[in-house]
Amino acid sequence: MRLDINTYHEIADSLLRNKSRSLLTGFGIFWGLFMLLAMLGAGDGVKGLLKSNFEGFASNAAIIVSSNTSVPYKGFQEGRYWSLKYRDMERMKTLIPETGVVTPMISQWGQTAVYNSQNTNCSVTGVNADYVEIEAPRMKYGRFLNEVDVERGRKVCVIGKRIYNELFPDGGDPCGSFIQVGSVFFQVVGVNFSSGTININGNTAQKVVIPSTVAQQLYNRGDNVDIVCLTAKSGIKMSSLEPRVRQVLGREHYFDPKDEPALLFLNTEEVFTLIDTLFRGVDFLILLIGLGTLLAGAIGVSNIMMVTVKERTVEIGIRRAIGATPRDILSQIMLESVSLTLIAGMFGIMFSVLVLSVAEKIVAASGEFTPAFQIGFWLAVAAAALLAVLGMLAGLAPALRAMNIKPVDAMRDE
Amino acid sequence: MLIELKGVNKTYDNGQPLHVLKGIDLSIDRGEFVSIMGASGSGKSTLLNILGILDNYDTGEYWLDGKLIKDLSERQAADYRNHMIGFIFQSFNLIGFKTAVENVELPLFYQGVSRHKRHMLAMEYLERLGLKDWASHYPNEMSGGQKQRVAIARALITHPQIILADEPTGALDSKTSVEVMDLLGQLNREEGVTLIVVTHESGVANCTDKIIHIKDGIIGEIEMNAQHNASAFGTSTIMK
Repeated sequence: MRLDINTYHEIADSLLRNKSRSLLTGFGIFWGLFMLLAMLGAGDGVKGLLKSNFEGFASNAAIIVSSNTSVPYKGFQEGRYWSLKYRDMERMKTLIPETGVVTPMISQWGQTAVYNSQNTNCSVTGVNADYVEIEAPRMKYGRFLNEVDVERGRKVCVIGKRIYNELFPDGGDPCGSFIQVGSVFFQVVGVNFSSGTININGNTAQKVVIPSTVAQQLYNRGDNVDIVCLTAKSGIKMSSLEPRVRQVLGREHYFDPKDEPALLFLNTEEVFTLIDTLFRGVDFLILLIGLGTLLAGAIGVSNIMMVTVKERTVEIGIRRAIGATPRDILSQIMLESVSLTLIAGMFGIMFSVLVLSVAEKIVAASGEFTPAFQIGFWLAVAAAALLAVLGMLAGLAPALRAMNIKPVDAMRDE
Repeated sequence: MLIELKGVNKTYDNGQPLHVLKGIDLSIDRGEFVSIMGASGSGKSTLLNILGILDNYDTGEYWLDGKLIKDLSERQAADYRNHMIGFIFQSFNLIGFKTAVENVELPLFYQGVSRHKRHMLAMEYLERLGLKDWASHYPNEMSGGQKQRVAIARALITHPQIILADEPTGALDSKTSVEVMDLLGQLNREEGVTLIVVTHESGVANCTDKIIHIKDGIIGEIEMNAQHNASAFGTSTIMK
């Protein structure tokens, strides 16, 4: 193969001789690659956005809530309400050693938090210190509740982002200040800026989190618990613990362990698996559509090269007669095909990078998310390599046909 | 001998076998100016294709400059064509989207000669053929005679052992035909180029020194024509 400046002239000549044809053919490749990269980038970006919603949330946990029974059991009628108790947690820990953290949650809705002349709506949630295992807080100021707070029933609280913004419009560290919720004053010990949108019993941003012991007394709950959150020890799937949890609680509270509606068992592991599967499906779909479009473009190139070769039979025959080897002809057609594909594809890469960065700017300007739509450098390199391969494959059949043109055939064409 | 053919046979098999060349024995020496004459269908084009290594033959031997030309690979054939043979065609066969000088350069491109050098050589040959001012023109901007002279320059540029001309005047008027034949004769006399012209026109054949008549696939009479007086239609012109 002779590669000098004339080789490039030859390629440019033959591609430019049919400008509109080259343009339209190149557009197939351009669009295919643009689709593939733009969708991959957008897919990753959306994935990132969705994932940020689950930020800090335990992926192998369960949230259980008591509910009405739906079947009669042990002499009790159906439709009976039962309630989770404090001692149920001890029972679960003891009888199901595979559980990690078992922690309660008590919620009181429709409260008002007041600080100086500022006030805002909020919900009050009582938790233990180990609740961080379920939903990791992002502390902007101060600390989360600790065991001593819970044990001693200290009147301290951690406030969410929106409450902080409403009560402390001037900003600054609010720790040590006292806010009034209902008739009780709580000392602020921390501010939680967690932005995840998975919430248990209310939006994290609008919660005042206090020790569960305080909530229990304050709201006259006795030993009732609204929600119990539990995690499984590492290596153990939460879904495998579900029947045993039902067994333990069913025996204690007299409901049928097979009575699904009697106990709401929200398994985050299942949710996360579902989301993962969904993402995989979306990825597959993107690849299918993107690669399919790209492939259609490549077939277009192959087709046009075929026509070109047919048109240039005489020219190729002349070249052969004056000394071009079959390999010269082969490489010429292949190079034309690869050049067309690469040039069109590079524009596709550039255009998709441009579109993705514009999309990033728009989304970033409209919300508090910082999305990552942009494709990575190595993905672009891989795309370019893919293009070269596609170009070669597209050029292969036409080039082989061109190679088989005999000079005599060309002369006969006169 | 530069060219030696011994009992060359060629049969085309397109549905029905067609025995085109029936044992050709022919020798042509270096520096000869030969024409191969015959009616259409006599096998002269087939013979030319075999001489030009554009086609292969079935039996016999073809020696070119001491090399047996038989069962060559495509690459080898292309190499021999490139280095040893120059072609001149009836319809010029210039590449339409290349200028005159680019057309002349093309054989050197396939020899791997550097860009600068082949451009210089091509310009030199165009100048010798009086086409210097036309170097950057495209074939469709030139007259038939000019195109054929570009084609001759392209054939000459590799210093081939032989130049094969297939009806070189077939697409030209009689005046231009005379000019082209004079040019070929001049090249033969002054530079000792071996020329083989295939034609069915006696006037063209008359310009050559030796006329080989081919009829029904065998060599007939070989006429020595040093005086150029073999034409039945007078010696001063080429009849059209």
